[in-house]
Amino acid sequence: MKPAPFDYCRPSTVTEALEALSSAESSRVLAGGQSLVPAMNFRLTDVSLLVDINRIEGLASVDCDPGGVTVGAAATQTRVLEHEGAAGVVGGLRAALRHVGHLQIRNRGTVCGSLAHADPAAELPALAVASGAMLAVSGPDGERRVDAADFFIGPFWTALEDGELITEVRFPAPPPGSVTIVDEISRRAGDFAVAGLVAIVEADGGAVRSASLVGFGLGGVPTRLATAEAAIRGWAADHPADTIAEAVMADTADAFDDIHATSWYRREAVAALTARAARRALVAEEAA
Amino acid sequence: MTISEPISEVDVEVTINGRTRRHRVPARLLLSDYIRDTVGLTGTHLGCEHGYCGACTVIVDGDAVRSCLMLAVQADGGEVRTVEDLAPAGSDSLSPMQQAFHDNHALQCGFCTAGFLMTLESVDPGEWNEPERVVELLSGNLCRCTGYQNIVAAVTEAWSAYHGGGGSRDG
Repeated sequence: MKPAPFDYCRPSTVTEALEALSSAESSRVLAGGQSLVPAMNFRLTDVSLLVDINRIEGLASVDCDPGGVTVGAAATQTRVLEHEGAAGVVGGLRAALRHVGHLQIRNRGTVCGSLAHADPAAELPALAVASGAMLAVSGPDGERRVDAADFFIGPFWTALEDGELITEVRFPAPPPGSVTIVDEISRRAGDFAVAGLVAIVEADGGAVRSASLVGFGLGGVPTRLATAEAAIRGWAADHPADTIAEAVMADTADAFDDIHATSWYRREAVAALTARAARRALVAEEAA
Repeated sequence: MTISEPISEVDVEVTINGRTRRHRVPARLLLSDYIRDTVGLTGTHLGCEHGYCGACTVIVDGDAVRSCLMLAVQADGGEVRTVEDLAPAGSDSLSPMQQAFHDNHALQCGFCTAGFLMTLESVDPGEWNEPERVVELLSGNLCRCTGYQNIVAAVTEAWSAYHGGGGSRDG
């Protein structure tokens, strides 16, 4: 057996789950388990009580309306990816999820679990920040809503307090006529990105009108590219890409180095992805 | 079924390859170890045991999953299929996909093969004829021997066998 011993429970309501989470010191939520179980197999994570939320009625729901998509805590990535309505309302979900792991991982892994895990190189946290997603969090003191922009604090570190559980996340529909692009540089398909970008771009008359730009794999949390968002307004395909690149470089000065890439490489990569996203958005606008 | 009180040992009932089994297992027992050690079906191979290589892929309630990233208790009440379920029962023949792997030299040491077969088995056979889809589908399974070309060739041939052979994936 790989993981160290722990206790297990499988509540049938959120209230029971919250009671269980508060009953032990090192309690953890088990949703898809695709990051938690390997961490337990390596004994990197100390778990005394595992609270399995997969049999809680209604928690695996995916609800769509014209204003957005609401994904329950136990809804798998495959379920969202294959949901007929979800991609039509929030195109970024499909664009992001096709980069997440592999089929076998997405069949178990959950959207909310990916947000709670907060891997700095993951796509879904960046999509949540770029699109202004709102998380519903339940805990011993009741329910609260947390804006994705305030949720990610550091690598694998979020605003979730001990004993709290994400019950659902709401991705609002992007502006009408916008294009959501999720692009990344990775060694192999399905690997975590060396660096990547979520871009929600509105174009009009052959020029970019506005864009929400969030990089990932650059620092501890999804990185809002605010200078680039300002620089890209009014950009057209015949403009030089240098202005975009310089702005992205200014936004990413803190990007980290590791064995996979230097800080400089990551910044250059995201600068190139940003120009590429702008071009793709303009092509899509012309075709529409 | 609800388990309200925290426990370290759980009763599980899992239907594996059509046969229902009941065991009391530690909560920390992985599904992969349950299949191999508790049930004794050693066709499922364990490579990395942290979700990277795909060798331990089995089908749980219709979906391909990595059995090393699931606890046995999570399969409680569910249906599991392993590589032992692929060939037609009571005969010496292989399933069309297994036969195609054999005919195309799509395995050498064979360690990863069960994982590839279960991933392929989990999707609609119509997807076996789309080379891009096949490559994407198999991107979660590592093979260190073949270089993958022969595996993709085998999948394409199995699609032909499936469509030419009366439409049964069981041969």
